[in-house]
Amino acid sequence: MAEQRILMGVIGRPHGVRGLVHVHSYTADPADLPEYGPFRDDRGRTFTLAWASEGVARVMEIVDGREVKLTDRNAAHALVNVRLYVDRDRLPPTEDEDEFYLTDLIGLRAVTPEGRDLGKIDMVHDYGAGTSLEIGRLILPFTRACVPVVDLAGGTVTVVPPVEIEVPDDGARDEEAAE
Amino acid sequence: MTRSTWKGPFVDGYLLNKADASRASGRSEVIKIWSRRSTILPQFVGLTFGVYNGHKFLPVQVTENMVGHKFGEFSPTRTFTGHASDKKAKRG
Repeated sequence: MAEQRILMGVIGRPHGVRGLVHVHSYTADPADLPEYGPFRDDRGRTFTLAWASEGVARVMEIVDGREVKLTDRNAAHALVNVRLYVDRDRLPPTEDEDEFYLTDLIGLRAVTPEGRDLGKIDMVHDYGAGTSLEIGRLILPFTRACVPVVDLAGGTVTVVPPVEIEVPDDGARDEEAAE
Repeated sequence: MTRSTWKGPFVDGYLLNKADASRASGRSEVIKIWSRRSTILPQFVGLTFGVYNGHKFLPVQVTENMVGHKFGEFSPTRTFTGHASDKKAKRG
């Protein structure tokens, strides 16, 4: 897990003529992005950044242990679309045993208590009504009742699919058909 | 009294019956519904509904703060997943 890279942001278009760039932050709070630095890109270069204003940052490349600032627009333009990664172990431990990073959950194998493989976690949804896990065609709430065991080291979650009750929308469809 | 006040919140009637039955059973179950237009009532608090978004049934765990909203608000029809980065999920 320590070698896993996490995409934290992308450098966007230049801003002005003094080497500032727009930065698209993917962190939960966009303002937190500089705290995770230094970042690596796909070519192995290392960067740090500091916000200059909202969404605009001054990016410094670390060369031979010292920070080299971008001084003009051309240098900033050369960094457009550079992806900023950090290693997984740079993320602080979660505060609660029931709290997990999405990046840790996605990709875990889901197995039933009897050991049957259900597939891997494809997505984690949260639209304001509790977190849910999408495992193939199965979507289930991320609760202790449905997901009693999360074994990050073993790469598995134990899943107890809930009983599903269908409530057909018969009345509404009959009304529409009558019209 | 305004019209919306005397008419009261709209909810498809069969949801009330099913919610009562689910609560009486005491099991942890997901009630799959198509009725995105129904208002979330106080008697739904604590239940889990699977609300259809035209593609799949997204689990909606009803809490007190959701009373008065519609079910459809919590099951978006267009989804943007974004990037995981440092985002966290809490097990309920």
